Amino acid sequence: MILLASAFGQLALAHYLLLSGVLFVIGLVGFLSRRNLIVMFLCTELMFQAAAIAFVAVGRYYYDFSGQVFVIFILTVAAAEAALALALVVLLFRRKPTLNAEDWRDLSE
Amino acid sequence: MDGILPYIECFAALVALYLILGRGGRMTKVLGILGGFAALAWMYVMAGTEIIGGEGVGREVLFLIFGAIAISAAVRMITHSRPVYSAINFVFVVLSSAGLFLLLEAEFMAFALVIVYAGAVLITYMFVLMLAQQASSPDKITEVPEYDRVAREPAAAVTVGFIFLSTIFGAVYQGIPSMPPPAGEIERNMVRAEVLQGLPKQLKSEVEKIDPSFQWPPDIDGNKNMVHADATGIFVLGTTEAGKHQPVRLPESAGPRNTQFVGWDLVARFPASLELAGVILLLAMFGAVILARRQIEHGEDELREAVGLTRIHDWDDDPAVTEEGSSA
Repeated sequence: MILLASAFGQLALAHYLLLSGVLFVIGLVGFLSRRNLIVMFLCTELMFQAAAIAFVAVGRYYYDFSGQVFVIFILTVAAAEAALALALVVLLFRRKPTLNAEDWRDLSE
Repeated sequence: MDGILPYIECFAALVALYLILGRGGRMTKVLGILGGFAALAWMYVMAGTEIIGGEGVGREVLFLIFGAIAISAAVRMITHSRPVYSAINFVFVVLSSAGLFLLLEAEFMAFALVIVYAGAVLITYMFVLMLAQQASSPDKITEVPEYDRVAREPAAAVTVGFIFLSTIFGAVYQGIPSMPPPAGEIERNMVRAEVLQGLPKQLKSEVEKIDPSFQWPPDIDGNKNMVHADATGIFVLGTTEAGKHQPVRLPESAGPRNTQFVGWDLVARFPASLELAGVILLLAMFGAVILARRQIEHGEDELREAVGLTRIHDWDDDPAVTEEGSSA
């Protein structure tokens, strides 16, 4: 019961890291188990999101604002990745009208 | 026994995710959802107790609400068979993590996240999704293709997830006490003083608000510091009507706000990274334009050849057009 009271009484850094880890793993599992190209990219965005939560939480813990500055760079990379990935998806989609990643297996050969 | 407890929790959480992902019926999924929340609640209770982000009764409740929304929307995102709904669920994840950023006193990042992610990136995804779905099956738009309905190798994916989550959670569970301690009051006030030092106009107006008789500029010590910090707050020293070297304490409201902290760090500590971020965005824009553009021209040429047409008049190479500006 002491454990319960202490856990619900205050928020710890571990709670934020745990949440960010769970979100990251959900994104990872989604990336591996979905076959839709666009949803796979959405899952990478989810992983970026989880990393951002971890950065802000640790930055708050040490009162160091470079954590938040790094989130700005994460946003930059995510935006660039979204633009390029979606351009590639549009390019692929023009050749063969499918979003199924397994239909593009021949790209790896 | 205590050492393997976090791994058991991770295993329970990932088994729940497998039940939600797999081909089982409604009952299996409900069981997975309940089991997943139970495992997460267990993890929440087990997590450490270093306080972060101030105190207050509402914080845990808000954290639980935002965390529950984020995790359930994320699970719904990877399990929903329609990609558009996945994107909408991702918007919920973004909004609830913006709420978590507000709890962590990162107001600027919270709003930047909503504007950039929910406002710009997700709209791009939506556009491409609509474009792709419309073209793939115009006659049977309501039918969800097989590759969206059935998960690919959920067992392997969940195994990878379990390895990853148990690594993270094991490290968090065992490693937090060995981490350096969090910033104390003095360190916090030193950061505040350093940033406020760089904002002389705001510093002057705040000092004059508190003590109108303060004679600007304040005293400067050997390290050229105007603002000083101790365990109780930040202050400036200077001449007031009470005499020389009088401290004027600045309240929390006078200190730099979150946006000023972030801006100061961004410009003063990472200027080269800021420039690089601009270059990355510019190159991404070039790349996207070039990738999307070239293919349109290919497609048009192939279409012309397919219906037996050739280019009648090449306007780019016509000397009449380039010389006279306009030609019929």
